Amino acid sequence: MDAGRERDLVERCRRGDEGAFQELVDEHRSLVFALIARVIPDRSRTEDAAQDVFLRMYRGLPYFRGESRLSTWIYRIVANVCAQEAARRPPLASLDDDRARPPAPAAADRQFSDLELRERLEKAIARLPPNQRLLVAAHYLEGIQYEDLAEALNMPMGTVKTHLYRAKQQLRRMLETDLR
Amino acid sequence: MFCDQVVELLEPIAAGDLAPDEGVQRHLASCARCAEALAAARRVDQLLRSRLVPTPPPQFTGRTIARIRRDRWRREQFFDAGFNVAIAAVLAGVVLGVWMIIDRSGLSAISSDLVDLFSEEVVTVARQMAPSMSLYAGATALIATALAIWWWAERDVTL
Repeated sequence: MDAGRERDLVERCRRGDEGAFQELVDEHRSLVFALIARVIPDRSRTEDAAQDVFLRMYRGLPYFRGESRLSTWIYRIVANVCAQEAARRPPLASLDDDRARPPAPAAADRQFSDLELRERLEKAIARLPPNQRLLVAAHYLEGIQYEDLAEALNMPMGTVKTHLYRAKQQLRRMLETDLR
Repeated sequence: MFCDQVVELLEPIAAGDLAPDEGVQRHLASCARCAEALAAARRVDQLLRSRLVPTPPPQFTGRTIARIRRDRWRREQFFDAGFNVAIAAVLAGVVLGVWMIIDRSGLSAISSDLVDLFSEEVVTVARQMAPSMSLYAGATALIATALAIWWWAERDVTL
């Protein structure tokens, strides 16, 4: 969305134009939903949390001064919602829980299939700290820029990259045996 | 170059953010452990790139707007209730103040006579109204029903 149209939409929202806010939701819903769904492992909470983001946007729009880009502000709200969700979520089960069970004889020396590996990757991602999880989720989504994330998370660009590398290093270590 | 130094560079190399220099390349060619770690880092990167992008359900926007309307309605109700309480408090204060002025200025003795007079009038009017009481009760019930329907319709629309 170009800056002029964005400003116009925000202004219309501030004047109480519900249609304008609906346009704003339509514009950002895919990105917000994908981001939230990737960061919050509990699928039953995904839609509620994504709606929370837009509800906070609606409440906060009168105070949005336009000093940062709207997308930056939205990522900041996403980060806050994700942090709150992480705080209320019970501690995750160990990544090796399913390994504790005795393996089926046929599967004992079978290599992990791609699907199983993906499942374990999701579990490993769920074990990352919320900030790193958000970075991993956002970095691989189209349309999200490093600058926005750095500003949204109040971090220099270099720190964002360092966090991202550390997160991936952690993932690699958690999946070490599966990746061989 | 040592493994410790190379390990720190594996993620940027796997992500394509850093091109390995000659020293790193030589180390990777000679150290199976680091080469394996780089392959694993590349695999993680590839897996992350190919993660499914969850899409919102088609009714997402509608449900979000409905939730915002509910939230706005609740907030308005809250402010309305606060406003009503404030108005009631102000009225109570005014009544109390008037009563205190009347009491202190000695007007209460006169007002008690007025109350007696007024009570007698009320009794007279009530006696006159008694035969038509069922008509008044019916009219009151009609007005109450109309008010209840109005409240119900209004409540349904705002939800």
